Amino acid sequence: MSTVKLKEIYKRFDETEVLHDISLEIKEGEFVVLVGPSGCGKSTILRLIAGLEEVTKGEVLIDERVVNTVEPHHRNMAMVFQNYALYPHKSVRENIIFGLKRAKVARDIIEERLKKAAKMLELEDLLDRRPSQLSGGQRQRVAMGRVIVRDANLFLFDEPLSNLDAKLRNRMRSEIRKIHREYKTTSLYVTHDQVEAMTLGDRVVVMRDGRIEQVGTPMDIFLKPVNIFVATFIGAPAMNILDARLYPGFIELEGQKIAVNNRVEKIFVPDSGKRINLGIRPDFFIDENNAEPGASLSRIENALIDIVEPLGFEREIDATIGSQHIKAKLDLRTTAGEGEKINLCFDMDRVHLFDPETGRNLACDAA
Amino acid sequence: MHGRRSLIQNVLLTGAIILLLIFCLFPFIQILSTSLKYQHDWGNPSLIPQKINIDAYRELLGFSATKEVEIPESIKRLLENPLLGEEQKQNILKKYSSTGDLFPFIRYFINSFLLSAGAAAISLILALFGGYSISRLRYKGRKVIQRGVLFVYMVGGVLLLVPLYQMGVKTALASTVWGSVVSLLLIYVIQTLPVSLYMLGNYFRTIPYSLEEAAAMDGCTRVESIYRIILPLSVPMMVTVFIYCFIIAWNEFLFASVFLRQFPDFHTLPLGLQSLFVSKNAIWDRIMSASMLTLLPVVICFMFAMRHLTGGLVEGGVKE
Repeated sequence: MSTVKLKEIYKRFDETEVLHDISLEIKEGEFVVLVGPSGCGKSTILRLIAGLEEVTKGEVLIDERVVNTVEPHHRNMAMVFQNYALYPHKSVRENIIFGLKRAKVARDIIEERLKKAAKMLELEDLLDRRPSQLSGGQRQRVAMGRVIVRDANLFLFDEPLSNLDAKLRNRMRSEIRKIHREYKTTSLYVTHDQVEAMTLGDRVVVMRDGRIEQVGTPMDIFLKPVNIFVATFIGAPAMNILDARLYPGFIELEGQKIAVNNRVEKIFVPDSGKRINLGIRPDFFIDENNAEPGASLSRIENALIDIVEPLGFEREIDATIGSQHIKAKLDLRTTAGEGEKINLCFDMDRVHLFDPETGRNLACDAA
Repeated sequence: MHGRRSLIQNVLLTGAIILLLIFCLFPFIQILSTSLKYQHDWGNPSLIPQKINIDAYRELLGFSATKEVEIPESIKRLLENPLLGEEQKQNILKKYSSTGDLFPFIRYFINSFLLSAGAAAISLILALFGGYSISRLRYKGRKVIQRGVLFVYMVGGVLLLVPLYQMGVKTALASTVWGSVVSLLLIYVIQTLPVSLYMLGNYFRTIPYSLEEAAAMDGCTRVESIYRIILPLSVPMMVTVFIYCFIIAWNEFLFASVFLRQFPDFHTLPLGLQSLFVSKNAIWDRIMSASMLTLLPVVICFMFAMRHLTGGLVEGGVKE
């Protein structure tokens, strides 16, 4: 198991700079997820660590040793590729043990690890097949098997689940979680799927346009996003960002006055009537009719319901207040239908205030 | 349904294919037929010999004893002349009983085979390295080299013949047997290399680069990943390239006729065939059976290539 340190990394492809000043530390045994929209440079970071790309500027350190010029085959890492990258001319068994055979590991150890991996990934009956005879999910499991049999310092996952259907993806996600619990190998996982990021990572790194936006535990990222980008990227449906104004003691939203609590008071900006973006997650809304009596909740009144989407246990509603759209996830007790009005309650502690100019979370700036 | 043909279209298409096939195959059938006929049957337009004659084949392959050459009566009388010395008599006898210009098929075959297989092997090895380089590596001048190589192909062999022979003479290669063989080998390699490079380079491009990256992550150096992953996946194309080069060299006449003219022991099959056509042994069944035997390796090569050309080795490794 290894530690990884990236020090002020820059990466350029011809004229395009794709990574700007990336610094990141991954502790021993940690599972870190890099998440961000496509093209944000997350896969490039992974490939830099793997040695498949060269660093333009900065240092990559593995176990405190600079490895910028070390060839990939000397870095002792194992990687799951997005497109599986199985050797088509080799059987499942040969694919899995290729790295071990290459490293001249003793035959009985190879057999033992193969057996363990095959059992864990339910590949026992497929060992003699060729990749072309496998389904997508099975191929993905072989790619995973190839990684876990290795005694690698670092596991790298490059969007390993993005080619699978939703059901299989859920299953494999738990599988990866299980693998990490079992092997405890330092892992770096790249995905654009925020659910994977939230469920898998000990820590999550949110990236945009070649920069790191925020690093933190999944709950940190979810509950304390540093800016509008992180707030809207993590969480589904995305956080509502509403135009409002902040006054001493209240927020004005589409003509409604919403009382603020002490926490918001603390981040109050001196110029009264300042434009702010109010961020509320759809999950944090409660239908006023179902709110516990006596709870100190703030309220958005008379939101006009445009669409109701029943999702079984929950109902997702799209509503309009003034000229702004709100999405709310309510429980199934809500009976209001399309075209009706609803009062939405929320806990002021769950609310974020963002600077509309910079997108920064004002709470972070105050802290 | 789109692309569905009517009955008439089907009949026309099938008819056209059959016509084309007959047009292509008829000369070969004619060769085979004539090579199996007896002399009295040659004028018979039927393609099926009245009686099968494989003497010519046996003779060419060395399965029959050398024919006793009949010495004409006038010569016999001449030999009886007591005024002739023993040595002179032997010379005359030798001239009439010599079978030296009979077609030594086995020797020509071995010459042709070694030269063609050698050129094909060298061309294949060079094309493997070159093809990998132009398909995978990034360096200055790569495109120029890639296109420059094809330039050789644009110039006809006849134009190059004289300058190349001059080069051979000036470097003293053309004056010795082995020098000539080496020159010829080089010429065949140069002639086949552009297309080999092109074929293999393009084939390597179809092999996903992530396979090599996966091999690197599994601990392979670049060279290791080439011979452990890329080469096994390229076997069909390697076989195709080898056969392509082999056939080009096997059928080549022009350069061989110039470089090997003075070394009869090193003649290749096309050269041998040509001299057979104009020799006193130019008898139809012999010419045709020699042609047939020359053709055979090419046909075998093609059949072998067809089996390997099914491809699909890369399938299943990566998600497209």
